[in-house]
Amino acid sequence: MAVIDEERATRPAGPADPTRRDGDESGPSRPDVQRPDRSDLLKRMKKVDPDTARKYRQRSGE
Amino acid sequence: MALYGIETEYGIHVEGKGAADLVAESRAVVNAYCGTFASPWFYRGEDPRNDQRGFHARRLKYDPDDAKFDDPSAPPLPVEEERADHVLVNGARLYNDHGHPEYSTPECATLADMVAHDKAGERIVLECARRREAEIGAAVKIYKNNTDFHGSSYGTHENYLMGRARPFGEVIGALVPFLVTRIIYTGAGKVGIEPRGKSGTYQLSQRADFFTEEASVDTLHRRPLVNTRDEPHADPHKWRRLHVIAGDANLSEYATALKIGTLLLVTELIDAGWFPTNIKLYDPVKSIKEISRDSAYEWCVPLSNNRRMKATDVQRVFLDQARIEFAGRGGDTDWVLGEWASTLDALDADPMQLSGKLDWVAKKSLIDDYVAADGEPWDDYRLQALDLAYCDIDPDEGLYAALVDAGEMVRIVDNAAIDKAMTVPPTNTRAAIRGALVSKFGGSVGNAGWSQVVLRTDAESWVADLDPFLTPALVAEGLDRMARADTLGELIERFRG
Repeated sequence: MAVIDEERATRPAGPADPTRRDGDESGPSRPDVQRPDRSDLLKRMKKVDPDTARKYRQRSGE
Repeated sequence: MALYGIETEYGIHVEGKGAADLVAESRAVVNAYCGTFASPWFYRGEDPRNDQRGFHARRLKYDPDDAKFDDPSAPPLPVEEERADHVLVNGARLYNDHGHPEYSTPECATLADMVAHDKAGERIVLECARRREAEIGAAVKIYKNNTDFHGSSYGTHENYLMGRARPFGEVIGALVPFLVTRIIYTGAGKVGIEPRGKSGTYQLSQRADFFTEEASVDTLHRRPLVNTRDEPHADPHKWRRLHVIAGDANLSEYATALKIGTLLLVTELIDAGWFPTNIKLYDPVKSIKEISRDSAYEWCVPLSNNRRMKATDVQRVFLDQARIEFAGRGGDTDWVLGEWASTLDALDADPMQLSGKLDWVAKKSLIDDYVAADGEPWDDYRLQALDLAYCDIDPDEGLYAALVDAGEMVRIVDNAAIDKAMTVPPTNTRAAIRGALVSKFGGSVGNAGWSQVVLRTDAESWVADLDPFLTPALVAEGLDRMARADTLGELIERFRG
């Protein structure tokens, strides 16, 4: 779907991680993130009790 | 000065117990806290029925579904016993809130402190749960989320100190388009649609299903996008506390920092007199649900002027003005401006590239992999168990924790900073004074709250007013006086002198 508001055209996509110096004093620093093999994550997901959400009941909160 | 904090109501499941037992079980978890603390809370300083629009509600709405969990013949407990308040040495509040262990962070003034104290809350509540498990010999699970998939929701609230000069109606008008559209990066992700958790849809936000009003003083039922509660916890002539209930519980440190940092800048814009003209949403309550459920990630919302606008572009209206006003002032501001811009660009290009930063993307990426590997259809109820497991704060079982262990999530603070925050308050806010009083004179505390601590000697009660500690210099001066006082009597004399 196109953006209909012509006054605010969608901007071109920037890089996922725009270059910023790490370790300066201008806010939290950013480590490099690499996506490793997910086989261990899949093993943990398969251990999850499939009925957990069905049994999960809470009171409303404020 | 900037001052903010996060309150998190945790979900709790105790093996062999049901929802009717949760008030007692939550209280027992909180009471399992074994560190230094003070109590009770200063309840007289709170009035959740006071409305910033200038009136006082006769009563607040309650969720009728909760009534079925209550025994009407059971006598109510005294509020101190029911809530089991613990004011901690790090300046935080830990208590039982309607059957949820709640951790309210101390007041923070930097995003690194904010994230560290939010994460410290997870570890404190988890430690309590583990002690309770050992007491009863049954599993006690704690979840940092906002939904039970059966129609109940519980909150993660943000608080920001704002000036009092702008009429609250203008504040609401400015906030609504921002809060509705920010879920594209603050959402924690959710399998299913309420009220009964119907599966088959993956949405951005855990909370979007539960909003029915644009603004009101209620929080428990018929929830509003903007909560109008007037409890400044500071000088009411100068300050208001923006109490934001339209937010998700974030596990991602990056999402937490971006969520707080962006809204902090927006509150500063509003305080400075700016208003986002030409972006009044036609139906904000409907729009937040439509954005949350839009699986095409187009996120177009109708405006009241018959035009439509992408949520990313609504956000850029706020971002552009924040750049004009605040760019280059350093500290957290420039980090927020840079990350806000790059996040919106990435959301427009391909949201899945943000799987190491945003909760809804990280959770979807995990479930996508599970579905691809196992062939489960997206409407399989078991995927809601994975949603819940993502929010399990036990590092040995939680899926978010597994992503962190795998090095997939961007970190804002390290584990040492989080451990430190469990017992050390932010050094530059009034929380440092509260924490030091609890740490040094905890046995003499009569009650404690956000804006005062009452200390009692044999001769008198002394109210330590925390409101004046508005700047880091004043906080440092107060801490210095405390460090030089060996006894409570000496401390009182130093403050009087």
